[in-house]
Amino acid sequence: MSTLTALRNEIRKGLIFAWSERLQILIEMPMFAVFVILLGPLLGQGENLASGRVDWSLNSQTTSAMVLWFTPFIFFYMQVVKMFWRLLGEIQAGTLEQVFLSPLPPWLVAAAGRVAAAFLETLFVAAATYAMVSVFVRIHLHWTVAAVVPALAIMVAAIGLSLVIAGATLVYKRIQIVNDGVLMMVMIFSASALPLIHVPGWWAALSHASPLTDGVGSLYNVMIANRSVDSAWGVGGLVPLFSVSAAYLLAGIGAFILGARVAKNRGTLSRY
Amino acid sequence: MSTIAFQTRLVRAELDKGLRLMWRRRALVVAAAIVYALTYVGISLFIGGGHLVKDLMVRTLPALLAVLVASTAAVEGCAGISEELSGGTLEQTRLSPASPQLQLLGRMTALAVEGLAVAAAVGIVFVSAAGLDINPRPEALIPAALTVLDALGYGLIMTALVVRVASIGAISHVGTMAIMAFGGTLVPISVLPHGMQIFARFIPTTLGVESIDALLAGRGLAATWSGGTLPWLLVHTAVLLAGSFSLYAINIRHAQREGGLSAR
Repeated sequence: MSTLTALRNEIRKGLIFAWSERLQILIEMPMFAVFVILLGPLLGQGENLASGRVDWSLNSQTTSAMVLWFTPFIFFYMQVVKMFWRLLGEIQAGTLEQVFLSPLPPWLVAAAGRVAAAFLETLFVAAATYAMVSVFVRIHLHWTVAAVVPALAIMVAAIGLSLVIAGATLVYKRIQIVNDGVLMMVMIFSASALPLIHVPGWWAALSHASPLTDGVGSLYNVMIANRSVDSAWGVGGLVPLFSVSAAYLLAGIGAFILGARVAKNRGTLSRY
Repeated sequence: MSTIAFQTRLVRAELDKGLRLMWRRRALVVAAAIVYALTYVGISLFIGGGHLVKDLMVRTLPALLAVLVASTAAVEGCAGISEELSGGTLEQTRLSPASPQLQLLGRMTALAVEGLAVAAAVGIVFVSAAGLDINPRPEALIPAALTVLDALGYGLIMTALVVRVASIGAISHVGTMAIMAFGGTLVPISVLPHGMQIFARFIPTTLGVESIDALLAGRGLAATWSGGTLPWLLVHTAVLLAGSFSLYAINIRHAQREGGLSAR
């Protein structure tokens, strides 16, 4: 009972924080739509661009795939980046030590406090991105309940990655630039799951270790390619989808516990 | 000691502090350089359709280097003030005989050193490892210096906002993304649609990158001046620097009056 109460309180705290950051969300909101609109006509156009020629029209199929690609990335952004800032804020304010007095494991306090808020923020920003891009080009997505399966796996992987970053934050503190870079890598590698560009072999191979690739692949299968969600193997297959997500969650929990132990031993949990 | 010598000493003290702090987190500075380099490779691969188009990279690399300076100035400038606010040491800095602008000058000089070091390292790696054929021209140093000042002006604006705006993290993030998107890192500014080009020229570093690109392409300094890019860059940089220094002084004085120099 006390566990459930503590968990509910953390989720509520996360939502209160999210509401207090509503201006930030509004400021960040157009960023994703602008990137989709700007990057869409440029994909694979390197040679043309070098010679000064570019067709700025948006292709419906490509743009639909890009919106699908960006939506889970928005969740990653909301979960990972905001959790980092919140943790840093608690370290700076000196309240992080109090987290360790909770009956819940500290990694669960950190993750639970963010995930519900990140989900709601993502719904809002993704809807706004969809609406903004739709003004320029028609987006074709096949809405199906089956999309919940990759969505859940994506959320688990994002929680895992956010805990890895959080663990590193406990030890190294000011790592926002590394944080941004890691997210950029996640985004870049996950593109190999979509037929947007032809990626080199090493890129395709490396991308399987990325937390978002199979999630995006599975979403593409069910929401654009009209394929079934239950294929076991291949990009977006259930086996790689859930094994990668579970691996990231476990790695995240491990990294957070390790980071917390190092910070506690050094006595730097609430010292900046 | 003369007034000028005293003021110089105060700026040097701030610069010294900034460089010591940078040295303490040198691992993160290196990590940031690697991260930006990888991001640029990723974007280049996207746009190249899975391979690097060197002719295009020659034209977009100066923009990446400008982003590095601007981003370092904004991120580290904001983080520095934010940490001092939380730690309660920003109030102590107001006991110094140095004016807020003078202290900011020292801080930003340190950030300029950091940003330029990162940009130089990344630039050398790309030119040598990717074999980019860039013809360095001495006259390009003029717009390059103005671009650095323009980038610092942007960083100063973000730094000045820390004491007044709680959501500065998001604002500086969006600002840096805008510089990346419209400042020539994705594509040369000249290939953007006309309306977007006009908008892009208001973004910090865009005019500088455009001038550098023109000079590296073989157009002379006189042509860049008569084309209007260089004079506008001069105006943009001057307005941004003057505005940011004034904004910082106003915000610090406001925070001092309202008791906002320590944690909110």
